Amino acid sequence: MRKVLALLLVFVLALGMLAGCSSNTSTSTTEAATTAAAGGESTDKVFRVAYIARAQADSFAAWLANAVMEEADKYDNITVDVFDGQANDDIENGLIENAITNKYDAIIVQPNNGEAQRPYVEKAVAAGIVTITTNARISGIEGASSVDADPYLQAKVNADAAVEQIPQNAKVVVLLGPPGNFHADARRDSWQKEFFDKRPDVTIVGEEIANWNKDEAMNYMETWVQANDQIDAIIAMNDNMAAGALEVIKDNAKFSNILAYGVDGTAEACLLIQEGKLTSTSLQSAYALAEGLLDTSNKLLTGQETQIDIDIDCPLITKDNVAEYIEMHKKAGAIQ
Amino acid sequence: MNSLLQKIKKSNLMATFSIYFVLLFLFLISMMANENFATIGNLSNISRQIAVGTILAFGQTILIISGMLDLSSGSVLALAGVLSVDAYLKTGSLIVSFLVGIIVAVICNILNGLMVTKFKTPPFIATLAMMAMARGAALLYTNGQNIYQIGDYVIFGQGSWFGVPNPVWFLVITMTVTWYLLKHTVFGRSVYAIGGNEEAANASGINVDRVKMKAYIINGIFVGLAGIIFMSRVNGGLPNGANGYEFKALTAAVIGGTSFSGGVGTASGTLAGAFIVGFLDNIMVLVGVNSYLQQIVRGAIIALAVIYDIYFKTTRKKNKAAKG
Repeated sequence: MRKVLALLLVFVLALGMLAGCSSNTSTSTTEAATTAAAGGESTDKVFRVAYIARAQADSFAAWLANAVMEEADKYDNITVDVFDGQANDDIENGLIENAITNKYDAIIVQPNNGEAQRPYVEKAVAAGIVTITTNARISGIEGASSVDADPYLQAKVNADAAVEQIPQNAKVVVLLGPPGNFHADARRDSWQKEFFDKRPDVTIVGEEIANWNKDEAMNYMETWVQANDQIDAIIAMNDNMAAGALEVIKDNAKFSNILAYGVDGTAEACLLIQEGKLTSTSLQSAYALAEGLLDTSNKLLTGQETQIDIDIDCPLITKDNVAEYIEMHKKAGAIQ
Repeated sequence: MNSLLQKIKKSNLMATFSIYFVLLFLFLISMMANENFATIGNLSNISRQIAVGTILAFGQTILIISGMLDLSSGSVLALAGVLSVDAYLKTGSLIVSFLVGIIVAVICNILNGLMVTKFKTPPFIATLAMMAMARGAALLYTNGQNIYQIGDYVIFGQGSWFGVPNPVWFLVITMTVTWYLLKHTVFGRSVYAIGGNEEAANASGINVDRVKMKAYIINGIFVGLAGIIFMSRVNGGLPNGANGYEFKALTAAVIGGTSFSGGVGTASGTLAGAFIVGFLDNIMVLVGVNSYLQQIVRGAIIALAVIYDIYFKTTRKKNKAAKG
């Protein structure tokens, strides 16, 4: 029994160490929260903002949550608490309700599924709380603001380039995000209207749902490579999946000239563009979203404005300008 | 002629090998459905694709036979894999990173084992708790971000030896180890005895807790290995990777004839189960079956394979009873 307890203790200590060296952000919130509580009403008002993330296990959502925390450090009058919706509508809706009950001054919602969160966001607005939706916005709620990137445009900038780049009578494969996801559907729709409708000569030899995942994309690409001697382009709805498909053919001379398109502008994608493997991607910058979110929160909370709807830019990243984005990721520590 | 057929039907042949007939049948159908299916390249792909899930499934097989299971294997895989990748980036040593991966997964499974044996927690609950903790730890350690630029670490999952991909070598090794442990060791016999009837096993002098702990430790080694292969294959440390792989592993084991009531199961059956799922996923993509339909077909075939297997096993029992 003593041995058992000793082992358990070691484990808990080890966990503590893990927590210590990796989660600077969470400690900083607690500190910020304490100062806020101590300062109370006597000093300038400190606004409490609840940031309700779609899922901390989703790498883009996690990047965005981290960026929001970093950006919040720049504002003395705002403290942000992050909540994890765990990619579950029910949990996320519960978190919004809790935030209303806890009388947060502002609630930022990154929906798991816009329509499922809509009534709860409306409740927050009705409770007189500053409410902002982001990535993706829930549109058409009276009194709610939004900061987003336009998924149609993100795919379009790539599709516009592809119309010129993809050869005549090309054979392409398409990797899709989770069905029903707003960004996944809008990006595919954009590729349809901006590329496939304009290029009837192009044939899709494979199209599968890889759920944004690199490993699932790899499995599909491995199979397609077996079945097709000719694949001219990989059209992926995000960078993870494009990277997975490229991983499969990286040493295959037959596909050395393949074109590949993604969306997001992740660190990995930028490196692949630099190596000449990925053709292009468009940046969905978590930093730009976070900047927009905090600026919007600040303006709404201090009463400068009552409703704001903004879209961040989605610049196309190609070999010509990739250096600048690699620099951005280096600063963030995502690339050594 | 007729009597010969009946003899085959009544003999143990069909019953013992029923799952392999399902596999063979699926192979032949797939071969007819698409000319690219039965190529060396494609079969090598399938083996590589199922390797990670199947290595997990061997660990599950030993656990399920002894009346337990591991819901944490996908999450522990991610934690072990991420820490292993990080160890490689920090030390530059493949051996150190390999050991880190295995040790992390073994520690998690020792904790699983302790919860089950010392604190008498049902394995379902104990490993469910570990599933959440390990995933949380992996995400916390990486701040939810993928680790890139892992260099030569990719050798474990992308390299090959004598023309055979490394993951397939690992698959063969774990399969052999599992088969040997189950068939030819006292530990293996104890595993079946405990799964068949724990109290009887205890009464006959088997140290039940020790065997259970050993089963979790072996599972841990397999999970760690799977984590290393997974991260290496995807060329990155993905804290969110291998989500739901515990169910892939359970599915392979159960299709392969491992019984959740304990005491029944084999390593080769699990391998066959994994290949059934692997063939099915592959041929549906080759033929271009609609993605939504694929999920329905996958579910239906799993149900059919198991019904078929159970049908032949029960007729064998009836035959035996009739003879006896």
